[in-house]
Amino acid sequence: MGKTVGIDLGTTNSLVAYFDVATGKPRCIEGPYGSTLCPSVVSLDADGTLTVGEPARRRLLTQPERTIYSVKRLMGRGLEDVREELRLFPFRVEPDSKQVIRVRLGDRVFTPPEISSFILRELKSWAEDHFGETVDRAVITVPAYFNDAQRQATRDAGRLAGLEVLRLVNEPTAAALAYGLHKAQRGLVAVYDLGGGTFDISVLKLISTGEGDIYQVLSTNGDTHLGGDDIDNAMIAAARTQLGEAGAALSAEAVQELRKALVAAKHELSEGGTIDVKVLLPGAAGGIAYVRHWSREALEELVTPIVERTMGPVKQALADAHQKPHAMEEVVLVGGATRMPLVRRRVEEYFGRVPHTSLNPDEVVALGAAVQADILEGGVSQGNMLLLDVTPLSLGIETMGGVVAQIIPRNSTIPASAQDTFTNSADNQTGIVVHVLQGERELAKDCRSLATFTLRIPPMPAGMARVEVKFLIDASGILQVEARDLRTGEKHSIEVQPSYGLNDAEIEKMLEESIEFAEEDFATRQLIEARNEGESILAATHKGLSSEAAHALDPSMRAGIAEAVEALRAAMKGQDYKLIRERIETLNRDTGPLAEAMMNQVLHVTVEGKNLSEV
Amino acid sequence: MSATEAATGTTCWSCGAAAEGGHFCAKCGAIQKLPRGTDHFAFFGLPRQLWVEMGELEKKFLQLSWKLHPDRFGKASDEEREMSLERSSQLNDAYRVLRDPVARVEYLLSLEGMRKEGATKQQAPPELLEEVFELNESLDELRSAREEHQGAAQTAGLRGRLEEAARNFEARLTDVDAQLMTAAKEWDATVGSGDATAGRAALAKMNEILNRRSYIRNLVRGVAEELGTE
Repeated sequence: MGKTVGIDLGTTNSLVAYFDVATGKPRCIEGPYGSTLCPSVVSLDADGTLTVGEPARRRLLTQPERTIYSVKRLMGRGLEDVREELRLFPFRVEPDSKQVIRVRLGDRVFTPPEISSFILRELKSWAEDHFGETVDRAVITVPAYFNDAQRQATRDAGRLAGLEVLRLVNEPTAAALAYGLHKAQRGLVAVYDLGGGTFDISVLKLISTGEGDIYQVLSTNGDTHLGGDDIDNAMIAAARTQLGEAGAALSAEAVQELRKALVAAKHELSEGGTIDVKVLLPGAAGGIAYVRHWSREALEELVTPIVERTMGPVKQALADAHQKPHAMEEVVLVGGATRMPLVRRRVEEYFGRVPHTSLNPDEVVALGAAVQADILEGGVSQGNMLLLDVTPLSLGIETMGGVVAQIIPRNSTIPASAQDTFTNSADNQTGIVVHVLQGERELAKDCRSLATFTLRIPPMPAGMARVEVKFLIDASGILQVEARDLRTGEKHSIEVQPSYGLNDAEIEKMLEESIEFAEEDFATRQLIEARNEGESILAATHKGLSSEAAHALDPSMRAGIAEAVEALRAAMKGQDYKLIRERIETLNRDTGPLAEAMMNQVLHVTVEGKNLSEV
Repeated sequence: MSATEAATGTTCWSCGAAAEGGHFCAKCGAIQKLPRGTDHFAFFGLPRQLWVEMGELEKKFLQLSWKLHPDRFGKASDEEREMSLERSSQLNDAYRVLRDPVARVEYLLSLEGMRKEGATKQQAPPELLEEVFELNESLDELRSAREEHQGAAQTAGLRGRLEEAARNFEARLTDVDAQLMTAAKEWDATVGSGDATAGRAALAKMNEILNRRSYIRNLVRGVAEELGTE
């Protein structure tokens, strides 16, 4: 049996962590690029090679149509749910996607769980490289406000990656676990989690008992369509407006280049007050120059409506927990977007308390997942702590007239269950259809359809059949259904057809197909990736040297670049991927002045062009 | 131990000792299968009475969570994990119902066969008929005013009247809750004395009070929604 890890499968970045027995603490594992963050980006080459993480993120610039990011936004969703997403993200969704969305990546088509499984596999290989042994079980985190279909899709992704998913843990709750370890605070705690694509708020009570500490979630709320991505999109929209016609006509490559520059600026503005963004976007006539002096105020104007959207769920979660904002003894911030000073100010203002920020908001969720993995494996954490989580949405069944009868209310501690007895309404009716939904609205059409199933009964007079159905939400927040014929006492087998999601047969098929993407040796894969990267920087350098701008370089610079090019070429012939990467870095540094010269060239042309037209 | 005995849970599945109906075997400590039809009161080892000491209930809930939660059985056999899932889900269901005074009464009534899910009567209690009539009239006026796109200034008086009516009904809710409390005490006394006739009478009374309560609550909620949609 292999090792168990905790995984944060994020919208923007994913991480893998484990519980270090020696120190009694969870730890994140570093990937081959020296960071614990694995960008949640997947790229598929024309020759069928998959690239995941940092190198795939770079490919967003060179091969956007073969690269996908933020796929978490599509997990467990139907085509009609993601119209908004399709407007803002470059997802190439197949128009005939039915229960499960299918996305085009180069010349292949995948479901979101498959794409997520590629990310999980990458993290699995990081961990295997770290331990030197197999990793086959994992605790994976999900946004607390994920519904059943989104949770099932995440579990399917784990299965497709060759991982037994021991448990899905809600992200804010996982953060609370890591936080509790970090600081021995007891009492009421609010966790405000604004990630790349999702927002969660959870109210917890941390209780010390004779046995150990209990982390009891009192309520949770959120928005699975709200996060840092939305801020990026708002910035991009502002930039495109500024660029006018050229902005409207940007190519996919140019948009990604712009996104990269703006995201970097967003990060900078969390530290400083202003930043000058200057970027040359690929386009007609030497490119399109985007230049703007961004101030923190300008950014905050864009961010304010997004932060205000988090306040509705925050208020609802407090109301459901029967608590007032000032009763919170600690407020914990999680998720990269909470680094923004505006978010911190707003949270502080609302709760009347300076939020706790000493934990790394990127890593804390993965660390909590590793603690939960240790609990489930019977490690030391099991004796110290227990997590009692809740279901975020009410569970109901459709009754007469399309009205929903609620059977498990939202914020019920899980596992939770409910029973209902069904009968035949007509003589000799042989099937009773049960429609299960999730949501807070009164009508079935306004709730999220989870599944439909038919209870088979022998022909008999109306009202004589008695079938008891037990609905159970397990500790991962996933629904299980069991039926029993009360006359015979026999268990009914029920085939549940998920409304949005893959059935078992489809997953089996995908598992078979996925063998063609079987793990290559880790080092081989790194080597291929490093060489590919080397090829693209060599091509870019060549292009730069033959451009107008190259005249501005002095001979010693030219010689330096030539030397770095040769050194990289030599390394690419060898087998050492680390050496290749080192030399890529050197070449990158040496071509810095060239890139700047190219930028100035375009700016010059743009300004001159303007002058001419204005004369 | 015979196979049937083990299946019906009269002996411990693990060591064969006589089962005493606890969550765990007194002898070997193994978790026990949950007998079908265990009610929420019995699950917590409580009599079927409506007076529940909340502090004690919470303490017991946390203690049992610590022992029964699936996290405690991560490495156990499939059967034991199933038992843990069944017991911990009923623990949570039972705690959810018993800690809420109204849900507790509703649950008792359904256990005693007095109340069927979704079969509550939505009829105005006779003594409220007149007030309900007036309230509905005001609500209709507000709706038609809105259809005619009248502003907040024109409907201010109407809104004020509705708000006052809602406050009156809310005050009634307090009365109703007090009545429920009295009836609950009557029931609890009959559990001690074993007076079945008096017991049925107390249940019937509570059933009637609950119907009135849910009627008034819906009324108040309806007004709040109507006032909130502007």
